[in-house]
Formats: sequence, C-alpha cells, structure tokens
Amino acid sequence: MSALSELSTLRKQKGGANSPTEKADGRWSLFFLGPWYIGLILITAGPLLASLYLSFTDYDLLTDPQFIGVENYTQMFSDPRLIKSLQVTAIYVFVSVPLQLAAALGLALLLDRGMRGLALYRSAFYLPSLLGGSVAIAILWRQIFGTTGLINQVLSIFGIEGQGWVSHPDYALSTLIVLNVWTFGAPMIIFLAGLRQIPEMYYEAASIDGATRLRQFWSITIPMLTPIIFFNLVLQLIGAMQTFTQAFVVSGGSGGPADSTLFFTLYLYQQGFASLNMGYASAMAWLLLILTAVLTALNFLLSKYWVFYND
Amino acid sequence: MRSFLSTTSRPRRRLLTATLVATTALTLTACGQADDTSAGAASEGAEAAAPAEFDPDEEYTLRYAWWGSDVRHGLNQQVIDAFTEKYPNVTIVPDFTDWDGYWDKLATGVAGGDTPDVIMQEERYLRDYGERGVIADLNDFDIATDKIEEEILSVGEFDGGQYGIPTGINVYSVLANPAVFEKAGVEMPDDETWTWEEYQDIAIEIGASGQSVFGMQDHGYNEPGFMVFARQRGEELYTPEGELGYQDETLVDWWNIALNLQKNGGQPSASETVELETGGPEQSLLGTNRGAMGAWWTNQLTAIQTAAGTDLELLRWPGETEGERTGMYFKPSMYISMSADTEAPAAAAMFIDFMVNDPEAGRILLSDRGLPANTDVRTAVEAQFTAGDVKAAEFMKDLEDEIVDGVPTPPVGAGEVAAILARINSEVLFERMTPEEGAQQFRAEVEQAIG
Repeated sequence: MSALSELSTLRKQKGGANSPTEKADGRWSLFFLGPWYIGLILITAGPLLASLYLSFTDYDLLTDPQFIGVENYTQMFSDPRLIKSLQVTAIYVFVSVPLQLAAALGLALLLDRGMRGLALYRSAFYLPSLLGGSVAIAILWRQIFGTTGLINQVLSIFGIEGQGWVSHPDYALSTLIVLNVWTFGAPMIIFLAGLRQIPEMYYEAASIDGATRLRQFWSITIPMLTPIIFFNLVLQLIGAMQTFTQAFVVSGGSGGPADSTLFFTLYLYQQGFASLNMGYASAMAWLLLILTAVLTALNFLLSKYWVFYND
Repeated sequence: MRSFLSTTSRPRRRLLTATLVATTALTLTACGQADDTSAGAASEGAEAAAPAEFDPDEEYTLRYAWWGSDVRHGLNQQVIDAFTEKYPNVTIVPDFTDWDGYWDKLATGVAGGDTPDVIMQEERYLRDYGERGVIADLNDFDIATDKIEEEILSVGEFDGGQYGIPTGINVYSVLANPAVFEKAGVEMPDDETWTWEEYQDIAIEIGASGQSVFGMQDHGYNEPGFMVFARQRGEELYTPEGELGYQDETLVDWWNIALNLQKNGGQPSASETVELETGGPEQSLLGTNRGAMGAWWTNQLTAIQTAAGTDLELLRWPGETEGERTGMYFKPSMYISMSADTEAPAAAAMFIDFMVNDPEAGRILLSDRGLPANTDVRTAVEAQFTAGDVKAAEFMKDLEDEIVDGVPTPPVGAGEVAAILARINSEVLFERMTPEEGAQQFRAEVEQAIG
C-alpha cells in the first residue's frame, strides 16, 4: 500500500510532465517494486481471494470444491464450538492485552530512569517477546505449569498442593494469558521510545509548580503517551486475536482440556485440516477478519475521546 | 494518469510474455511426463487397462509417506535401501512426520496436487481417501495378498476395491506390570475369566494400597477400548453400513467405570489424565512405573517395557467371558496405499509388494507395524523377534480361537471421531457433563461427522 501511495505522490509532484528521464525513473521504480508486487499477488492477494471463494464452497481438500452459497456462514450461528471459541478468544484478548500493556508501561517507566546497565535490562526484558511465540517456550510452559512442574514445586515449599494448571479446564486459559503478558517486550520498547519523546521542560515546569511525581505521571506522562498507548493497543489486540501457536502446542492441538483453550484460529485449523472442512474454515477466516476490522475501527472511533496529539 | 500508465504498460506486457512462456514450458514438461506413464493415467478411468509393466531400464522416483517415531524412520529407511539395492533404477524419497501432523500434512499435500506415491494409511482415514478417489484400487496391480488372512485383508476392502494392504496386526489389550501388583500386595488376575466388576475392584485396591501407584491409566480418549466393551454386548461402534451401532447405555456404563476408578483412586485425577494423554507410551503410568495396568496395542509392548525397565504381561480385556460374546479383535495396525495418480504405478506396486511380502523387508521391520500380516513372512522372521514380540505373538496365537470377527471398516469422517471422543471424555472426567449427557453429545457430533 505504502509503495503505491508513494508512487502516486511522485506522480502528482511531476504534474503532467512526461520527459524520457521520468519514464525511465518509472520503469526503474517498477523494477525495484517488482518483487514486492509478486509477493503481494502470490502470497497475499491470491490466497486471500481464493479463501473468499472457498468460503462459499463445500471443500474437503481431497476433491474439487462445490459451490454452496452462504451455507458456511449461516452454519456458524448454530455451531456451539464456534461460539465457545469466540468466547475463549474474547476472554484472552480482553484480559491479556490490558495486563500486558500495563506490564510493558510499568517496566518502561522503571527503565526510563536511567540506571546503570540499562541496555542489559532492556535486552533481558525484551527476550521473552522474541521467544514467547515459539514452540519451545510453549512446551516449556506446559512443563512449568504441569502437575509436577516448577510452579507446583515452588508452591509445595509453602505447603500448598497445586494441581495441573494447563491440564485443568478452569485454569488452562489463565496460563496462556500469563504467557502472553510475559511477552511484554515489544510494547515496552515502544513505550520507552515514547517516554524519551516527552520534553523534559514539562516536568521541570511542573516540579517548579510543586507537582508531585504521581501528579506529573497522571498529568504529563500519561496524556503525552496516549498516542503510543493507542498504537500498542491496536497492534496487540490484532495480534492477540490471531493467537495460535501457544494454544496449539500447550493443548497438543486439541484446544483442551474440555475446549477451555479452543482459540478461534485453533478451531479454524481443526476444521480445515483435521475435519477436512476447508470451505467452513475459510468462512471462519473471513469472520475473524471482519471481527478484527470492526474492533480496530471501534478503537479508532473511541480514540477521539482519549488520545491526545500534541500538535 | 497517462504518464503512470505509459510507464507501466510495457514492462507489464513483458511480464505477461514471460509468464506465458513459463507456463507453456511447464505444460510441455507435464505432457512429456504424462506420455511416459500414459497407462498409469488411464488405469484411473478404465479398469480393463493393464498398468504399465515395470521396466528395469527406466528411472522411477517414488515418494513414500509415513508417520511414526524415530525408530520407525530408521527402519523404513533400511527397507528403502534394501529395495533400491535390488532395483537401482528406482529412487524412493522418504516423507515422514509424527502422527499428529501426518494427516494435516497429507490432506494439504493432496489438495495441492502433491500426493505421495506410496502412502501409509490407517483404518479411520482409509474410506476418506478411498471413496474420494485419492488412493488406488490395488486389485488392479500385481501385488500378492494370498498369504494374508481374509478377515485382516477385508478391512482394507470396500466399494469392491482393495484400497489398502495391511502391513501387520495388533490387538488392543491390557498391559500389566506384575512388579507393581506385587508391591501393592494384589494378586494378578486370571484374564481368562475376570469380569468388569473384578477389574474395578483390583484397580481401586491397587490405588488404595498406599504405594503411590494407580491401578489403571484412563483410556477413554480412544475408541478401541469402547469397541471391545460394545462388542462384548453384541454391539459395534460402527456397523458395516457405516452407521453407529451401539446403545447410549453402553457408553454410559463405559464412562461410569472410569468415573468409579477416578473417584476411588483407581486411576489419576482428570487433570493428570489429560497430561498423561499427551505424553505417549514412554511417559505413561506403566512406562514410569506409577501404574499397574494400562490399555495399549501389542506392538507398543516392547517400547513400554523398555521405558519401565521391567517385564510386562499382556492380559485379555475383562468381561471376555462375561457378556454375549468376546469383544477383542485383530486390527491391522496400518495399511499401505498407493496414490491414484502416481506417475509410476508399476514401481509403486513393486515397492508395496516388497514391503508386504518379502521376508527381507520383514526381517528389518519385525513387529514395528504389528506382527507381519503375511503369515509366511511372520514364520520366516520369528527367530529374530525380541522377547516382547515373542510374547505378543504367543498372546495372539492364544486369542485366535476366541476372536469372533474383525471390526468393519470405519465410515468416512471416522478420523474426526477420536478427537470428539477425547474431548467429551475429558468433559465427563472433569464432571462438567454426566455420562448420559456425554453419550448424547457424542452421538450427535459423530453422526454429523460421519453423516
């Protein structure tokens, strides 16, 4: 998209002029954009359109798709597991994202105070973000929260008898929420950058006026940081809605125990590849896209009321 | 606008030309390949057309897909090497993964027009692929099956075709660790007469022995145990017509046994059970010496024995003499199938024949796929059997007169049923559903899956 808009601004700047050098420029720009276009068509646009078509078909992967109209979409309303998967995903998104952003902001504030060995801490706190989505960490998580895992061993020191956290339907989702909160590194780095942008003079002025630290935080830091908070919120919400790897690995692909970690994308995968209902799975993918778009649009609408742009 | 268009039009045209050239080239090569194996392509349409003869001077390439453990990957590679040594003009590309990923990968490959030439199959998926024309009717090819018992072979047969050839046979049985029985001070049962009542008492007694061991590991996440239970009552999970053939009451009774064990310490808590389910044989209660009994296939005996470091016994299921009839059955552990649109059907058929009928392949594979289905091969390789294999072979020999029949080939969609059962089983064990609700839910979901 950005490349396209750049092209059109280039065009505008040139007005109607049509000299040979400009033609050559255009050709070269296309040449360099070529790989990106090929990627867009083959990897993004093609499959996107194919899945839109497949969402109106009965397609079992093994034989050719049969067009069935909107049946896949109407079927979703009476699918209890789909509704369950929406609930699981909603709980996950609305609990883990605010917690994760709070953790990220808290740590960013601590690190922003310019302590010794800052770079080391910053890297250490960022590390989970690099690892969090990986299969290895999900397997580790399963061990840590298992019946004989690390968490229960620590608890037993205090005489508390824990249980299998990832294998109990009441707690399994919470362990995945904790895993997501733990990967606060990326928003933390962005918060850190945001904090550096706030001019020092505001704080100076405030302290001359006798404002306390806390007061400064609520009246300067937070308002100045709202665009960054908004940015992180949008990104993390979209990311959380697409969570797949952790749930897949921790539950062994089942979404269990008893569907307690049946994320929307995991159910989509089960429908498409295990139950061979690729048509239905494609329709589910489009539902997810629509839901994500609606949530993001809502976010932008609401941003008017709380995001402060200092310009 | 004009300038923008004019700068793009020419490269675009050029790109188009390039694409055209590339596609034409691809089409041409595709045609060339089709010419080489026209007989193979034709066999799909007309049964009368004889498949191409194996030509020792032609180069063939086959892709062979299977699931399994590292041990199996090694064994299969040895079989491939043995075959290609005999037929140097055949190249076989191995394509393997674990059980969980296998079916996802296979379905995706088929959808992408990239079906492996030789495919390891399982009964739950055989009809899915057979009825949809992905795998070939092997009767059209020169593969000997006369040394395989009819009731074993027949499970790979439907719609008048042989869509898979069983590689080996297995029995779902109760594995027991006599050492744990002794530690708990409980006597080993007489498996020829024990009832379901006695089985539950034994499991609970072991759990209550104070030795921190369990009597039994839950196995309700898997269909075979329930199949045995239902067959003892003269019912079947699936009828030969591909419908459900059991009473809900049977499934309710089945779950009540597990719940009784769970409540009284005969089997672990529901959440431990969930963990054990994902652990596999080596991490099972038997494999880690934390349990007296478990439900396993006979070809898993050696692996679990090795993990436990002690000798285990194979037992019949309880209730074999209690009900209307015996419920245990021989199950082909897996099948070998051939892609319906392989480019080298003659070579693929030779390779399948080699794996099923050649004692050389048998000597490598031994009991990895269950005891060899070909009885001649089984006799020929008996000398090489491990102690575990010998035990399994003797156990099966004893059962031969007791087993009434095989189970019918499961219907299309049966691959989903294991996941449905596992999910509802944990709902029941966590007591979020009563066994009655679970049975209802199971029937509703399975009927939709196999619809």
